[in-house]
Amino acid sequence: MSSDAVLASRCTACGAVSYPQHCLCPSCGGERFEPTPVEGEGTVVSYTDLYALAIDFEQRFLRLAMVELDSGVRATGQLLHETPAIGTRVKATIGVVRRQGETKIRGLQFVPV
Amino acid sequence: MRRVMVVGAGMTRFGRSSETLSQLMCLSSMAALRDAHLGEYPVDGVVVANMGAARINRQTAIASALVDRLNLFPATAETVENGPASGSSAFKVGYQAVAAGMADVVLVTGVEKMRAVNNLEGTDFVASMSHPEAEYIYGVTLPSLAGMFARMVMERYGVTRRHLALVAIKNHANALRNPYAHIQQAITLEGILEAPEAIVNNPPIAEPLHLFDCCPVSDGAASLVLAAEDVAEKLGKAGIVVAGIGQATDTHAVHERPEPTRLTAVEVAAERAFTMAGTSRDEVDVVELHDAFTILEIVQSEAAGFFPQGEGHLALERGETAFDGSLPINPSGGLKARGHPVGATGMAQLVELTWQLRGDAGERQVQGARCGFACNFGGFGNNVVTTLLRREDR
Repeated sequence: MSSDAVLASRCTACGAVSYPQHCLCPSCGGERFEPTPVEGEGTVVSYTDLYALAIDFEQRFLRLAMVELDSGVRATGQLLHETPAIGTRVKATIGVVRRQGETKIRGLQFVPV
Repeated sequence: MRRVMVVGAGMTRFGRSSETLSQLMCLSSMAALRDAHLGEYPVDGVVVANMGAARINRQTAIASALVDRLNLFPATAETVENGPASGSSAFKVGYQAVAAGMADVVLVTGVEKMRAVNNLEGTDFVASMSHPEAEYIYGVTLPSLAGMFARMVMERYGVTRRHLALVAIKNHANALRNPYAHIQQAITLEGILEAPEAIVNNPPIAEPLHLFDCCPVSDGAASLVLAAEDVAEKLGKAGIVVAGIGQATDTHAVHERPEPTRLTAVEVAAERAFTMAGTSRDEVDVVELHDAFTILEIVQSEAAGFFPQGEGHLALERGETAFDGSLPINPSGGLKARGHPVGATGMAQLVELTWQLRGDAGERQVQGARCGFACNFGGFGNNVVTTLLRREDR
């Protein structure tokens, strides 16, 4: 597993995978988890082009998406796809999603399959 | 539990204010206290709703500051921070104190002074309630969550940008009758959607949402005085009873919701309020919903149980939610046009309902209103407080 993977949590008691991290398993209340990467292909659940940008962002707009991966795990991230629609197939990758001064924050970027 | 009455109401005009945060909360509090004519009855407790003073105004413990400014010693004082649901949450805290018998009279004030910082800082302050690792770091803001939500709802139920524009047009028209509203501007379908220059007037913010789908950033304060029923009777102010309060929570990251087009916390909170009040949806005459984004008014009107799921936009289109419709929604102008000083909004909704039920709403009076419902929506729906107020003639 890559050192900068975005990690979901697999409950050691019931096997349910949750993302983001919870302190108690949303399915069974279990307290122990194994990390498992948020990875693979999936489909766009929804997306938006954000023009009123957050602090730290300077492009014309930021394309954000909610994606359901084939594993069943859903995640929010940046969408690097020119012609998205609900249902578009994408693949989860890890890249620089935000620069805070000198600090580069890495996270999920969904790209065309 | 004791029954609790609303005995006083007041608010400042919403908008860009030159008053300080402390002065804003004093002004609305004094208006509500004057309205209550408490006479010999002291204010036993003060609850202040606020989301951002620590960050954007560099001021903390503001309920204590309000007690000091109003010389209400030795009243109890609490500040409630519950995101954009702070207002109704603070109201609930005040209600509980009176209902439980720990206080006879409580002043509840919601306040926010957002224009103290620039737009970028203000947007970031509001975005800080999104999930820090799973949403915020990607550049997620509240408008972007609303944009993704709107796209799903539009695709699933056939809601169009025209429907969204109809919400904005209705609420702007309502606000023209509200002297407390931030925005006093009539808008038309032509101007924000159909004309060639509409894209200039109404640029995209978070597609498919445009500027006129989003509430403004406001300063303002709103206050109510709550009293135990026996005190309200002695004051000659009995009449507006707190009939029901319901609250519910949902997942922090929006993508974790099994059906991301549903506002489950609104559904549960509304059901709890109606159950507590022993009232049905049919009895409601006037509604204040949390239209921080136009799509939210439509979906909340369904989730609160007034229309079937997926049909809120049809009721809107038929004019049922208009000021002169069968179920007027946001006669105040809503967040869209009254404005949205986040911590004050829930209280402003309840001030509006109080005035409507007393028959004091002036030009925007919903004739014969006896039961009012408000939905105060925190986060992107992860903490929702709904309230039912009812008029009782004595």
